[in-house]
Amino acid sequence: MSAEVGAPPVAAALPAIPFRHRIYGFGSIYGKTIRDSRLAFIIAAGLLGGMALVMGLAVSSVFPTPAARLEVDKLIGSIPASMVNLFGKPVSLGTLGGYMTFKYGAIFALGTALWSILALSSTLAGEARRGSLDFVAAAPFGKRRIALEKLAAHLTMLGLAMAILAVMTTGSSTLFGDAALGDQIPLLSSVGFALWCGFLAVFFGGLAFALAPLLGRAGSAGVASLVMLVLWVANGLDVGGIVVLSPFRWTADHIALVGRYDWLPLGLVGIVAVILLAIGVELFVRRDLGVTAGLSLPGLPAAVLGVRGPISRAFGEQVPRALSWGIGLGLMGALIASLVGPMASQLGKDPNLSQTFAAIFPGFDLASTGGWLQLYAELLFIAAGFAAATFVSKWASDETEGRLEMVLTTPTARARWVIAGGVAALLAIVVMTVLFAAGIGLGAGSGGVAAGDPMVGSAALGLYAAAIAGVGIAVGGLWRTSLAAEIAALLVVATYLIDLIAPPLKLPDWVHQLALTAHIGQPMVGAWDPVGIIACLGIAAGGVLLGAWGMARRDVD
Amino acid sequence: MNVIETERLTKSYGSHRGIIEVDLAVSQGEVFGFLGPNGAGKTTTIRTLLDLIRPTSGAARVFGIESSADPVAIHRRIGYLPGEFALYDRLTGAQTLEYFANLRGGVDRAYQASLVERLDLDPSRRFREYSKGNKQKVGLVIAMQHRPELLMLDEPTAGLDPLVQQSFFAALRELIAEGRTAFLSSHILSEVEKSADRVAIIREGRLVKVDTVDALRDLAHHQVELRFSGPVPAAEFEALPGVSEVQVDDHVLRMRVSGPITPVVQAAARYELLDFVSREPSLEETFLAQYGREAVEVKSRVS
Repeated sequence: MSAEVGAPPVAAALPAIPFRHRIYGFGSIYGKTIRDSRLAFIIAAGLLGGMALVMGLAVSSVFPTPAARLEVDKLIGSIPASMVNLFGKPVSLGTLGGYMTFKYGAIFALGTALWSILALSSTLAGEARRGSLDFVAAAPFGKRRIALEKLAAHLTMLGLAMAILAVMTTGSSTLFGDAALGDQIPLLSSVGFALWCGFLAVFFGGLAFALAPLLGRAGSAGVASLVMLVLWVANGLDVGGIVVLSPFRWTADHIALVGRYDWLPLGLVGIVAVILLAIGVELFVRRDLGVTAGLSLPGLPAAVLGVRGPISRAFGEQVPRALSWGIGLGLMGALIASLVGPMASQLGKDPNLSQTFAAIFPGFDLASTGGWLQLYAELLFIAAGFAAATFVSKWASDETEGRLEMVLTTPTARARWVIAGGVAALLAIVVMTVLFAAGIGLGAGSGGVAAGDPMVGSAALGLYAAAIAGVGIAVGGLWRTSLAAEIAALLVVATYLIDLIAPPLKLPDWVHQLALTAHIGQPMVGAWDPVGIIACLGIAAGGVLLGAWGMARRDVD
Repeated sequence: MNVIETERLTKSYGSHRGIIEVDLAVSQGEVFGFLGPNGAGKTTTIRTLLDLIRPTSGAARVFGIESSADPVAIHRRIGYLPGEFALYDRLTGAQTLEYFANLRGGVDRAYQASLVERLDLDPSRRFREYSKGNKQKVGLVIAMQHRPELLMLDEPTAGLDPLVQQSFFAALRELIAEGRTAFLSSHILSEVEKSADRVAIIREGRLVKVDTVDALRDLAHHQVELRFSGPVPAAEFEALPGVSEVQVDDHVLRMRVSGPITPVVQAAARYELLDFVSREPSLEETFLAQYGREAVEVKSRVS
């Protein structure tokens, strides 16, 4: 028997991939990356654009009269830079552009940079860890093209978000600002501000991208975030020689929203960012796919890893995160607490200055060290909330990563697993809070400030984080763990935004009261709100119990 | 006594099919093979039996206990290996085994050690450093180390090399010899053929066949090949009962024989043969042959 060997069959020509699928969809790596980042884009652009929009309303609320604005402008020169630069340079404070730059400029830049760090640290390293990058790399084009397409996709989304920010900023000034008082922000100024945010974002995102082939996703994101915070604080508080490395310092005179442009340093930020991105591409091309050195952190002793039972195991999984968040917040707390003494005493000596700050930061007694710490703590609530979301994420990973089946087919009831995970998350929050309090105590001690109230007040961060964790665990138990951390993080963002926009928008009081942080009082000055404490504890415990109840009633994913 | 029983067990995921009216009974002391292609409903059935997911309708009982009524009582007596799993990246194999042993209140350390040795597992490495096969070994030891009354193993030999597979089946046989029961899900027919007493075949969520391995084999055809020294009497063989697909290639006659092979042997004996080859059907061939017919029946019943 024989087989006839003929010419190899000719494959039919494949239909061309539509152009629209190449730019959005499954027609190219670029298109798919654009598609994958649509949710992050919507969140980032929505937050940045939304914040810019409410600024117009906020400034008219804080400085309602021309006289108030003139008063503020007159005082600008007397504000010591070391006191306020952590926020932004105080220039033309009585205008929308000046107010927005001073009070929220850094928030815009840091938020955008955080998005870039998360996106660029994971776009290749995250996919390599999942294993899907092997399939992509086996396609008939080079690694350089893969990296460049992914990079181009993120830069496209970032550019779009920055365009929205620019349009919303100018739109806000047109709709709500008083042109006679200098509130009008021309489009060039808005574009200059958006470019500042975007270039800083690519700078730190580029750092994460360059480190990702070496350290992997988590390591590169962690290092880049830490560098960003250190350089921001170093610039704001004028700390040490490292300030010369800070792009915040390089661009300190680029205050685009008040019409002051300093394009050259901004260009330098862009050039460094491009160099970092190029390093990232080359390292990705030259190194083995998915092989990273990681961060050589010391391993935990076996006793801490926890193999005795569900609680110790769950806590063992949380310990590295708890230590990371605790040390980070502790260092930040130590730095802030060591510097607030002189700030408070300077304000205490000058009633006019004190009055100005009271207008910008209503409700805070900035003539006291506790008042300054409370002001900074308001920012740290966001960090504590996100920390809680990561603890929820680690708990949820038992199910999302496929371990839960093996745990639950031992004689471990579902409710017990949820309660053990909840207790472990709360213990992790305790560890984080204790480290933060220790940092505050050390900083206060070194700055000659009373440490008692602030250290005890640090517990407020833990209480808020516990409540967020409770909500996340309830969502995970009742509904699905794959959404638990995301919903917890969204709650943190929503809480922050409500706290931010409800007063200037003159929304009904009940809207502001929806923010849990509106009920905690000012614990850094020893003023606790019992309602908030009870609410936080109730939400934390209730959330865990609700999660346990729900978990017993749903399918395991 | 039936260790596993299901009655019209149905699980649907919204508009997606899961399993449909599955009736199963697995006796104590038997190795029960659960066969089907990917997506047929094997894992859904196991997860329903273990109360990891809840049935849409019907009932599932393990050790006579309704699976959703007291799952912990069931879990206390079973060992489970999921088809796909991940464990704790930062724990070593030994720490992982210790943790799961602790969740069961402790295990016989000597037996645990013997399993580790027989499966050739290095327990000192972290889980994330293991290859796919070594991760599977950790999962198998977790499932077996407490000598459960019922082993529920989803694709147990996936990723294992042939020598380790042999060791695993040897350990499994020892547990069965002690009166324990095993429920093996697989799409690799040869592994079930080697170990199972009875086999169920599931396709598109429905059980299409439950029978002994031997009975399934009997249903199969034989592939017979006769090499004649002279002309091939094809017509004579075509007329025999059970013979089909007769092919002639020079002096070689090939045919498919369903049922008893005796008439073919008797007919062949009347001629001078250079060779006679009758190939024993594998379960895989049986499975595939049987599958087609039953699938058609299922479809016609559904429509």
